[in-house]
Amino acid sequence: MAQYSVVVVVAVTLNFLLPRLMPGNPLALIAGVDVGMLTPDQRADIVARVGLDAPLWLQYFRYWGDIFTGDFGFSFRSSRPIVDMIWERIPWTLLITGLSLVVSAVVGVLLGALSAWRRGTKGDLSMLSGMISVESLPSFWLGMVLISLFAVQWGLLPSFGAVTPASDLEGWAHVWDIISHAIMPVAALSIVGTPGVYMTMRYSMLETLGEDYIRTARAKGAGERRVLFGHVARNTIAPVITVLAIRLGFAFGGTVIIETVFSYPGLGRLVFEAVAGRDYPVMQAAFLVFTAAVLVANLLADLLYPLIDPRTRTS
Amino acid sequence: MTASGSERRAARRMRRRSRLPTILGVAGLVIVGALVFTAVLAPWLAPYDPTDRIARPFLPPSAEHLLGTNDVGHDLLSEIIYGSRVSLLVGLVAATVALLIGTSVGVVAGYYPKRLGSTLMRGVDVILILPFLPLLIVLAAYLGRSLLNTILVIGLLIWAEPARIIRSQVLSLRSREYVLAARSMGAPDRWTILRHIVPRTALLATGSFVRAVSGAILLEAALSFLGLGDPIQKSWGSTLYWAQTRGAFLTPAWKWWVLPPGLLIMLASLGFALIAFSLEERINPRL
Repeated sequence: MAQYSVVVVVAVTLNFLLPRLMPGNPLALIAGVDVGMLTPDQRADIVARVGLDAPLWLQYFRYWGDIFTGDFGFSFRSSRPIVDMIWERIPWTLLITGLSLVVSAVVGVLLGALSAWRRGTKGDLSMLSGMISVESLPSFWLGMVLISLFAVQWGLLPSFGAVTPASDLEGWAHVWDIISHAIMPVAALSIVGTPGVYMTMRYSMLETLGEDYIRTARAKGAGERRVLFGHVARNTIAPVITVLAIRLGFAFGGTVIIETVFSYPGLGRLVFEAVAGRDYPVMQAAFLVFTAAVLVANLLADLLYPLIDPRTRTS
Repeated sequence: MTASGSERRAARRMRRRSRLPTILGVAGLVIVGALVFTAVLAPWLAPYDPTDRIARPFLPPSAEHLLGTNDVGHDLLSEIIYGSRVSLLVGLVAATVALLIGTSVGVVAGYYPKRLGSTLMRGVDVILILPFLPLLIVLAAYLGRSLLNTILVIGLLIWAEPARIIRSQVLSLRSREYVLAARSMGAPDRWTILRHIVPRTALLATGSFVRAVSGAILLEAALSFLGLGDPIQKSWGSTLYWAQTRGAFLTPAWKWWVLPPGLLIMLASLGFALIAFSLEERINPRL
C-alpha cells in the first residue's frame, strides 16, 4: 500500500515538475500561450491567472488540491474541461484492452501450458521460437499491415474510428458496427500481448513440473490427466494471474500506439493528439489516468493472489 | 522395451533442447552482423543520397528505384539502408546508458542490502510500476525531438530490469568465500566490488545489455512513428510515420513503403533478442 502511495506521489510530482524544469519558457508549457506575441502586461496577467507567480511550494500544493478535487483544467486546443474529454474516451479503451487481454490470456495460457507439457519436442521449440519472433513485432506496423490487407486490399473491415461517422445505425446494426471497428485493434493488441503471457505460463509451469510433489503424484500412480489438472494447473495459475492483472495496467498504456494507427477514439489516441498538438495539460491528465490504471491493476493482483494461492495467505 | 524407447526419446529431447539456444544464438549473430554491415557501409550500399530529391514523388518500384520513392521524391531503398544506422545507434547507446545505471544501482543495492539497498530497490519498483509507454511519450514530448533526447529517454527508462537482475546476482556473490576472505583481510569495499563482484556479473550484464538493445530498437521505432523522433534523421520508424501521414498504407504503395521498414525493425530487434535468449539459457537453463 505504502508503495502505491509513493508511485502516486512520484507520478504527480513528475507531472508538476516536468513543464517547470524544461528549458525555455514554462509559460508556453503551462498556460499554452505564444509568449513572443504578448505585451509584458498581458504576460504578467496570464502568469498571475495560472498562478506561476506564486512560490514553487505553493504551486505544488495547489496542484495537489486540483487533483484531489478532480480539476484537471482545460485543454489548450479545444478549451473543453479535460475531465470530460477523458471520460468519453475511457469506454473505448476499456473495450479494446479488455477484449484483447482475454484473447491473449486464453491463447497464451493454453499454448504456454501445451509447450511446457511437451517440452523439448519439435512443437514446443517451434512455438517458443515463434513467440520470441512475435515479441519483436512493432505493434504499429502490425496495425498498418492489417489495415492494408483487411480494409484496403480485401475491403472486409473499416479502416479507422470506433463507429461509422455520421451514420445513425440502430440495434444490431449498431452493435455490429462497433464490433467490426474493434476487430483489427483487438487483433493487433492480442497478437503483441500473447508472447508475454505464453512465456510466463511456460516458465511457471516448467518450474511446477520440477517440484517434488509432482514426482510424488506421478510415483503414486496418478494418471497424466490427474497430474495435469489436479496438481500442475492449480499451482501454476496463481503467478500467471498476477502477471495478467499487471499486464492489464500496461495494456492500457500500450493503446497509445494501436489507437493512433487505427484512429480509435480512446485514451491512447487522446495522448497522441495532445502530444501532436502540444496540448500539455491533456497529456499530463492522461498520464495520471494511466498511472491510476496500473495501480488499480496491481492492487487487484495483490487482492486476488491469496484467494487463488492459499499458501500466500498470512493468518 | 517401451522403457528404453522412452529413454531414447527423452535423450533425443535433451539433445534438441540443448541445441536450440545455440542455433537461435547463431541466427541472432548472423542478423546482427548483417545489420552492422549495412549500417557501416550505408554510403556505399545505398544507390542514392537519402536526403536528395532524385525523382518524382510516389513512384512505384522500378529498376532505378527498387522500392520506389516517398512523398518528397527520396529513394526509399536508400532511406531504409541509412535507417539501420539510427536503429543500431539508438539501440546500442540507450542500452549502454541503461546498463551503466542498472549495473551501478544493482551492484550497490546488492552489496549493501540493508538500508541503502532496500531504499534503492524500492525506487526501482516505483519505476517498474509507472506506466511505461505513456511516461516515455510524455518525457519525449517535453524534451523535444533530437537523437540525443531519444537515447536519453529510452536509456533512463529501461535500466530498472537490469538493476534487479544484477542485484540478485550480487546478493549471492557477496556471501561467497572469496569475497568474505577478501573482506576479512581488510580489503576496502571499493576493491572488493571492483575486483571480485563486478567481473562476475559480466556475463549476466551482457545478457541484460543485449536484451535492452532489442527493446530500445523497438522503442526508438515507436517514438519515431509517433512523430517524436529526430526530424532530421531517417529512421525506419520515421519512414513509417510518413507512410502513415501520407496514407501510403491505404494505397498499393504499402507493399514497398510500409512492409520493408517494419520487417527490418522486427528483424533488428529479433536479432538481439535471439542472442539474449541464448545467453540467458546458457547462464540459467530453464528450457
